[in-house]
Amino acid sequence: MTFFNVYTPLFELALFNALLAFSQYIVLRAGVFSLGTAAFTAMGAYCAGVMATQYGLPSWMGICAGTLLGAVAGVILSVPLARLRGVFQALATLALVQIVLSITLNWVSVTNGALGVNSIPRTVHLSHMLIAVAVVTYLLWAIGRSSIGRAFDIIREDETVAVSLGISVPKHHRIAFTLSGMIAGLAGALHAHASYSITPNEYGFHMLVMVLAMVVLGGRVSVAGPIVGAIILTSLPELLRAFDSYRTVVQGAVLMLSIVFLPRGVVDTALSWLRARRLKAGTATKEARA
Amino acid sequence: MLMQQLLNGIVVGSVYGVFALGFTLIFGVNHIMNMAHGAVFMWGAFAGLYAVTMLDVGFPGALLFGAVGGGLLSVLLDWVAFRPLRKRGASDFSAIVSSIGANLILLSLAQQLTQTRVMRFPFDTFPIKVYTIFGLRIQLLQLVIVGLVILMVLGLVWYLYRTSYGRQIRAVAFSEQTSRLLGINPVAINFQVFFISGALAGIAGVLIGLVFNSVHFMMGEPLLLRGFVVIILGGLGSIPGALIAGLLIGIVQTMTVAYISAGMADAIVFSLLFLVLLFRPKGLLGGASAAVRVNRQ
Repeated sequence: MTFFNVYTPLFELALFNALLAFSQYIVLRAGVFSLGTAAFTAMGAYCAGVMATQYGLPSWMGICAGTLLGAVAGVILSVPLARLRGVFQALATLALVQIVLSITLNWVSVTNGALGVNSIPRTVHLSHMLIAVAVVTYLLWAIGRSSIGRAFDIIREDETVAVSLGISVPKHHRIAFTLSGMIAGLAGALHAHASYSITPNEYGFHMLVMVLAMVVLGGRVSVAGPIVGAIILTSLPELLRAFDSYRTVVQGAVLMLSIVFLPRGVVDTALSWLRARRLKAGTATKEARA
Repeated sequence: MLMQQLLNGIVVGSVYGVFALGFTLIFGVNHIMNMAHGAVFMWGAFAGLYAVTMLDVGFPGALLFGAVGGGLLSVLLDWVAFRPLRKRGASDFSAIVSSIGANLILLSLAQQLTQTRVMRFPFDTFPIKVYTIFGLRIQLLQLVIVGLVILMVLGLVWYLYRTSYGRQIRAVAFSEQTSRLLGINPVAINFQVFFISGALAGIAGVLIGLVFNSVHFMMGEPLLLRGFVVIILGGLGSIPGALIAGLLIGIVQTMTVAYISAGMADAIVFSLLFLVLLFRPKGLLGGASAAVRVNRQ
């Protein structure tokens, strides 16, 4: 039990990271190369933080509003962004992250500038984070098994094939953007209420890289991928305490090595290996019977 | 005052242009968005600085070391981060992820090396001379920078359009498979492309380090982000586009800092990128082929 108490902040961080990874996962699964998760997270966090500190509204309202704001931002941005392709989607969303960062830094009357929003009531605990992650996991799993999930997979693998099968690419990209914005908004709002204070620079390039690393390492197809990626990359710094100053080197190396040697991520590679083995075993028993 | 800011904008913008030229060259030939280009720029500045402080080579030596250092690092980067992916025929996505990883490694190594200090070129690296022309104060350094940028651009254009190597580079940019059939070795071409673009970034690093009189491990990041804006605004793979857009971004930025507020410069520059992607995705000078790559039909 003491183990559990000592590491509670770490568990909370892992769950927060898992939510962020889900937000990144859903767009990558649909073949959208959006890096906008950090921007949506900032929107959700600031929405919840400002509502709680400046207007004194209850936390659940802030969290709902943050989620909604993320979703609405996702819908609005998806209209222009769904027109763009791969690298250009990445650049446009990168610009979005920078614009949101500039606004949170410079709109001092609302966001308190570089000092950030402070003394947000801490009302979100480990149990709430667990519930949120469980709900989002179920939601994404259900979507993944529906026709939308299959359409996502086809679009990611080959857009031309998807179009020839009558799948509307912009429509599915819009769905993916909206889900991504919603999940990131939820994650940001929960994080604001779990950590007392938020500052603009948390939601910059560093978060973007970390979230991307989690999904690349974990895997982009199976729902378990982002969770595994988030757990590995959250616990890695704790395991590598000895190399504290080289933490970012390790993170960069993980990113490079996994995209070079494990391009589909840990979970998807493991799943396809298991499937191949099962198939092999199946044919072997059939042959033995015959 | 206005003319003075315009002049400062042109000087900074021309360096942005040089940085973006290397960026757009790699994109044009390999279709890779090299997120580690900012780190190459930073290490180029470091190479120049260490050459001045340790070997006492002066300004030309700093440029030379910056160029060679940046070029070699860029080739190494290609070897480690992009070659394995190219062999596998991986997507654009993999290249971006891999170069983000390389960028992180290069950044934090630089941070360890300098212990997060901000370093400066020695006072006498470049003679401080100020000329006054029509009430404008022009430093000798600014004149030299603009001159150097013009020289480098002319050199690059000559190399790409007037030599056999340049023709091979353009052939590979058009289609790697076809150029293989014609007996061109893409490995050698990639070596040249990455070396040239790294050398341009390294020289840009030394120049920016001198202009702002500071060299530190984070100096590449703002330039990388500006580099995106420059190549999108100018049109992909377009050399004049990169230069014009570089100048434009330099001027917009200095004007915003001077007349609106320093904090708003980023918001304005990136809103510009967003708007260009929405309304004119092929950029100011991009051809029809660029538009096909950007937009889905």
